[in-house]
Amino acid sequence: MTASGPRARWIMSRVALAVAVVIGVATLTFALIHLAPGDPIYALAGDGGSPEYYADMRAKYGLDRPIAEQFGRYAKAVAVADFGYSFMYQAPVARVLAQHAPASLLLGFTALILATSAGFTIGMIAGARPDGPFEAVTTALASITYSAPVFWTGQVLIVVFAVKLRLLPAGGMTSAREDLHGLSFALDVVKHLVLPAMTLSLPFMAVVARVTRAAISETLREPYILAAAARGVPRRRIVTKHAAVNALAPLVALVGEHAAGVVAGAALTEALFGWPGLGYLMLHAALHRDYPLVTSTFIVISASVVFFNAAADVACTYLDPRITLG
Amino acid sequence: MTLWVRVVLCAVATAAAGCSRGTTTEAPNATLVVALNGDPGAMNPAVTTSGNTHPVTDQIFNGLVGLDETLNPVPELAERWTIENEGRTYRFALRRGVTWHDGQPFTSADVKFTFEQALLKYHSRTRAALQDLLEGVDTPDDYTAVFRLRRAYSPLLQRLDVVEASIIPQHLYAGQDVLAGEAAHHPVGTGPFRFVSYAPADRVVLERNPGYFRAGLPGVARLVFRILPNAATAVAALEKGEVDYVGSVSGPEVERLRRSPGIAVVSGTGGSGGSVCEDVLIPNLSRRPLDDLRVRRAIAMALDRQFIVDHVYFGQGRPATGPISHLLAWAYSRDVRQYPHDLAGAGRLLDEAGVKAGRGGERFAITFTHANTQQRLGQAIREQLKAVGITVNLETLDFNAQVDRVFVKKTFDLGMASYCNGVDPDIGVRRVYVSTNIGPFPFSNGAGYRNPRVDQLFDEASRFSDRAARRLRYVEIQRILADDVPYFWIIDSEGLRAYRTAFSGFRLWTGAFVEAVRPAAAR
Repeated sequence: MTASGPRARWIMSRVALAVAVVIGVATLTFALIHLAPGDPIYALAGDGGSPEYYADMRAKYGLDRPIAEQFGRYAKAVAVADFGYSFMYQAPVARVLAQHAPASLLLGFTALILATSAGFTIGMIAGARPDGPFEAVTTALASITYSAPVFWTGQVLIVVFAVKLRLLPAGGMTSAREDLHGLSFALDVVKHLVLPAMTLSLPFMAVVARVTRAAISETLREPYILAAAARGVPRRRIVTKHAAVNALAPLVALVGEHAAGVVAGAALTEALFGWPGLGYLMLHAALHRDYPLVTSTFIVISASVVFFNAAADVACTYLDPRITLG
Repeated sequence: MTLWVRVVLCAVATAAAGCSRGTTTEAPNATLVVALNGDPGAMNPAVTTSGNTHPVTDQIFNGLVGLDETLNPVPELAERWTIENEGRTYRFALRRGVTWHDGQPFTSADVKFTFEQALLKYHSRTRAALQDLLEGVDTPDDYTAVFRLRRAYSPLLQRLDVVEASIIPQHLYAGQDVLAGEAAHHPVGTGPFRFVSYAPADRVVLERNPGYFRAGLPGVARLVFRILPNAATAVAALEKGEVDYVGSVSGPEVERLRRSPGIAVVSGTGGSGGSVCEDVLIPNLSRRPLDDLRVRRAIAMALDRQFIVDHVYFGQGRPATGPISHLLAWAYSRDVRQYPHDLAGAGRLLDEAGVKAGRGGERFAITFTHANTQQRLGQAIREQLKAVGITVNLETLDFNAQVDRVFVKKTFDLGMASYCNGVDPDIGVRRVYVSTNIGPFPFSNGAGYRNPRVDQLFDEASRFSDRAARRLRYVEIQRILADDVPYFWIIDSEGLRAYRTAFSGFRLWTGAFVEAVRPAAAR
């Protein structure tokens, strides 16, 4: 492990890069959504109006100004942490984001925890007994769940668990019919969380399981493992104590990398389940061409993706002694 | 799925299910849950026609008139009215004793304010129709509102319901921006339900207005709009009993729902999102060879509408015969030129038009620009027109982009729209065909059709108050348009709604569809 000087410098450069990436994403998003055909006014005000009416409305929201000017105004607003005004909600974007963020965080973290813990456990068992029946079954399942789109997986889960078995709710975050509080409210949210969290976590769970399996089975062929076995250390202990630790570093890098996928996948999952998070918001805002809202949602999402990546990089430098900085 | 996941899942589900209360619907405390496919956003109904906002606000607010099942006006905030001065003056006697949800009295000042400061400025359809027509609104006393028109206009009353002209409170909106003011986040109306809360992307909760001017209504204590953007999930939630009403059911699900006990599937032609709709293909009449009448007639003959209705729309409607839906029965006429499916006849017409088949049998190629929800329609059209040597290239876009290309930029060969006739041909049919409405804006005369005689007939039809006299004009319009085929009319839609039979009393022709709903057991 290296001294703190190079590490601090390295972290600073990572942060600078992260900020640059977020600014780049915001600029690109702003440009792309403005270049896409379509007009927020129609979604906002409805159909059947006269040309003068739509011109008036455009002027009212500053949409008749050149794109460069609109971007300048928006950038200035973002610089002072004011994300602009959402046409669709007729409310400050910051307020809208704050309303949607908690649901996204709950779903995203649950899915990540579910995917890593379950994926790691499955991968460890499969890796400990390569070529066994458990490995064959989990490898096949992992291929299916990884390649299936979340939209499809989600619908299958809804049909099975909500419509057929009637075990879990089909959509939403809480029951619409009742007004619950306290513990029963929390349980109600958990009940609603199960299917979307599973849907979102399955593809990533498959990746984690496969990477862990590979890392474990590779480690188990190392000379020091053979040495430990020769000393009479039990197999279970070798896997959980020695091999598992070495599988952690690639796993952490993987989580950092795929947190992005979990966030992006959340747009479809949230829309499917009617989960009131940022992913749904991004999709809805893009379809309505709510420019400030789309751009700001992208800023928040890309910032969190960049943050996850950077955090994973830093964590890896601690977990893997072979990584040096400087 | 792995075993442990299943075990954990079932444990959680069982624990949670054990804690939740049943979904009972006893009167009078019943809660009705309605699925809504998008966020309503700001809830000022007088400045938007949004199909996500109005289903909610139409239960909170009222219009001066309501509409009965035959789409005739009935008293609402106006108790009665007289039409004077040869159809140029409408005098409304307002209902007395009506209060806003905050307790303030409703008066004629609210009517005048709503029209002058909101509807005529920002409600796209009402502004387009009435801005030049309405000279002013007078309020001789608190309970009289007089509309002075520049000329006689018979469909006025149909334009004054809660969908087209919700009345909003002056005391809350005066002095603030009616578009962006805070009042739209806590809507206060006179209607059967009052606003409780709104969690974006999740739900809107309303409760019974105990002081509602129609005694004994509404029939449920709470009304919750559950936002479920995915239509299949909304249907699953209906089957599961999490929601009680779904405003649109897509084709593949109809049969399954019909077989489900406790669920009714009914066709409803009206409501907040547009009523009596027709899906049509829009040829760009300024482009060759679609500008040639013979080519358009050939295309009309090559399209097998019955096949499309059966296989693309799953039977949710009837093949359209012209510009007015058969559901607007008083104005509809079948006595027009028909285009039965006839490939040989279509081929002859195309030959006559000089678009001969080249090598490989292709006569010409066009691009069909459509929304991603219309891909099945695109495939059907491509196969059907291929049979007469027309190659159809498919351009699939998101809804907003498609609207932009077809109506605003007009860079298309063949487009598509669901044009809603509305409760009167003057509201939803006229705009599609008159030459004064050729965009560039959504759902205008997308084909770019011009015919002075048609313009004149639409104007005449709006002046007569007598339906028989109006019908004569509309019949002639239908005859001319069927001859000219400026659009390819595909289907008179009969949108399907589904609800749990634990409730009854839905009014499927109006935006205010929940007012009379009650738990079925209470009957």
